[in-house]
Amino acid sequence: MHVHDDPDIESAELAVRLAGGDREALAEMYRRWSPLVHTVALRALGTREDAEDVVQQVFVAAWRGRGTLRPERGSPAAWLVGITKHRVADVRTQRYRAHRNLQALASEVVTEPATPHDSDWAERLLLVHELERMGDPRATVLRMAFIEDRTHDDIARTLEMPLGTVKSHVRRGLLELRDRLKEVERVASD
Amino acid sequence: MSHPTDDELVDLALGEPVDADRSAHVEQCAVCSASVEQLRRTARLASGSESYAGWHAPDDAVWARVTAQIDADDPLRAEVPDTATAGTAYAPEPGPADATVTPISAGAARVTRRRAAAWGAALVAASLVVGLLAGRAIWSPDESGSVSQVALKTLDTRQREGEASVVRTGDGLDLTVVTDRPLDAGDGYLEVWLINADGKRMVSVGVLRPGETGTFPISQALIDQGYVVVDISKEQFDDKPAHSGDSLLRGQLPA
Ligand SMILES: [Zn+2]
Repeated sequence: MHVHDDPDIESAELAVRLAGGDREALAEMYRRWSPLVHTVALRALGTREDAEDVVQQVFVAAWRGRGTLRPERGSPAAWLVGITKHRVADVRTQRYRAHRNLQALASEVVTEPATPHDSDWAERLLLVHELERMGDPRATVLRMAFIEDRTHDDIARTLEMPLGTVKSHVRRGLLELRDRLKEVERVASD
Repeated sequence: MSHPTDDELVDLALGEPVDADRSAHVEQCAVCSASVEQLRRTARLASGSESYAGWHAPDDAVWARVTAQIDADDPLRAEVPDTATAGTAYAPEPGPADATVTPISAGAARVTRRRAAAWGAALVAASLVVGLLAGRAIWSPDESGSVSQVALKTLDTRQREGEASVVRTGDGLDLTVVTDRPLDAGDGYLEVWLINADGKRMVSVGVLRPGETGTFPISQALIDQGYVVVDISKEQFDDKPAHSGDSLLRGQLPA
């Protein structure tokens, strides 16, 4: 039997400590989740400078708005990703304004069109992160079910696991991931 | 009939067999069908994660910037726990209190990032000016006098609110910017730019104090390369040397 720390319990503790004003909790959150926040921002914005600015803003906002964290909703990762989406949208708005102003300067001026983007990067990366930290065997079952697109029967045979256990991991895993996305949505649309 | 269980909704979302009466309910229930759609979206997003290439940690300096900014917050406010700051996660940066640019003295205990930022921007501007001055040296002196001038207008209403002129001096060109009334820099500052007519490149020529006339040395080479659009922007003390995108006045020098 694979033994691991329960990441949910640790994360919930961090959330409670942060809400209580513990600066060390913020530092620990930064250690854990700044690569997630940075990668989301980097994917969405394309430049390291902008992405690092977003990381800075997100953790400052996390500190200033620590009262809006809901520890009962589990991992603060989703909360941070929600704030990140907010900040990324702000940067995009600024870029759009800059773009528009440049366009206004001369009628024959040609400017680069705004870069198209996949608006789901934040959610996708959060799910990658959640699958990484979820622990086995659930993480393996979910990867096989969603990423490798294998049937539940196939997974059960491969992992030598009862079919009912596979189904139960898929169900609980998907519901958990769904809750993370809901949390992102709640924070990002604030 | 009551709503199906979460497990049944997952099975429906994933196309697993479910009792006919359950799926009939979902088809007619807005709450359940929204729930199923959300689960399908989650599965879709999870399935796309194979193209993921790896995590990128931010530079170590970023954490130092976070702590410096938090330290710069009003200490009283920073110490008040949760309820006092609830709902302020996305509040704008605190106001002018620490936005004032003050010289960094050797013994300054805490240099906030905003101050560092302002000086960073000033340094960038200064280095550009140095670059422009270097350009002047190769320009051969000519007679003094006005070369060209243009009205500076607001971008939206095209209202004339100032003027820019380029004057030939003994050893180069001076760009002089005058506004009819002091421009409002808010809690930021005003920056003068020369934007290339191609709309893609620009250089900062200096910082304009509200209500004052600004004179900035530029080079003929810059004009020749097409940097002929004079632009005054409102900038924040945000450590971003690039144009904020917030242009107040603009005018294109005649050829
Ligand atoms: Zn229902």
